[in-house]
Amino acid sequence: MKNQLEEFRVRNGWTQQELADRVEVSRQTIISLESGRYNPSILLAFRLARLFKLQIEDLFLYAEEEEHHG
Amino acid sequence: MGWLFLVAGAFVALVGIFTELQYGYLPYNFRIITGLGILLAGIGVGHLVRYKAALKDEQSARRLTVEERDERTVLIRARAGNRAYWVSATLIYIGLMWASFAANGSLPALTGNTLWFFLAVGVLIPFGVYITSVLVDQRNL
Repeated sequence: MKNQLEEFRVRNGWTQQELADRVEVSRQTIISLESGRYNPSILLAFRLARLFKLQIEDLFLYAEEEEHHG
Repeated sequence: MGWLFLVAGAFVALVGIFTELQYGYLPYNFRIITGLGILLAGIGVGHLVRYKAALKDEQSARRLTVEERDERTVLIRARAGNRAYWVSATLIYIGLMWASFAANGSLPALTGNTLWFFLAVGVLIPFGVYITSVLVDQRNL
C-alpha cells in the first residue's frame, strides 16, 4: 500500500518525531510507514487522515495487485 | 517490570552458581543456567535505566509509554512470540516422539547428558528465535 504521508508531513512542516507524537506512535513507525515497509492498522490510518484533515483514501493508496504479489 | 527481570535474573544466576559449586562433579554445564540468569538481569537493568531516564522529563516518559504501546512494536513482538512458540512446540513434539520411540527400543533413551542438553536447547533455541525475529522484523517492517 502506497501513501503520501511524507508529502503531507513535510507540507505541514513537521518532523517525523513531531508527527509520531501527534498520533502517539514511535518515530520508527512513521519512518516505516513513509518508506512503505509497514501498513498501519485501520485506527492509525484514521488518526493520520484526521490529523491532516483528509479521507483515508487521500492518504493511503490501495493497489490490489500488490496484495496478490505479497 | 525491570525489577521483576532483575530479581528473576539474579535468582536464576545464583541458582546456577550454587548448583555449579554444589554439584560441579555432575557432567552437566550449569553455566547455561548462570548465563540465562545474567541475561535476564541484564534485560532488567536495561528496563530500569530507561525508566530512570524517562523520569527526568515528562516528554521522555510520554515517549517511553508510546513506544511500549506502539502498534508496530506490538506486532513485531507478537510475530516473534508466535515464531518462538512454534519452534518450542516443534522441539517438544520431537522430544515426545523421541521418548515414545525410545520406550520401544527404536531409539536410544534420553537420559543424563542427552536429556540435559535437549532441555537446554529447548529453552535457548526458542529464546534465540524470539530475539532474532525481533531484530529481523525491526529492520524489515
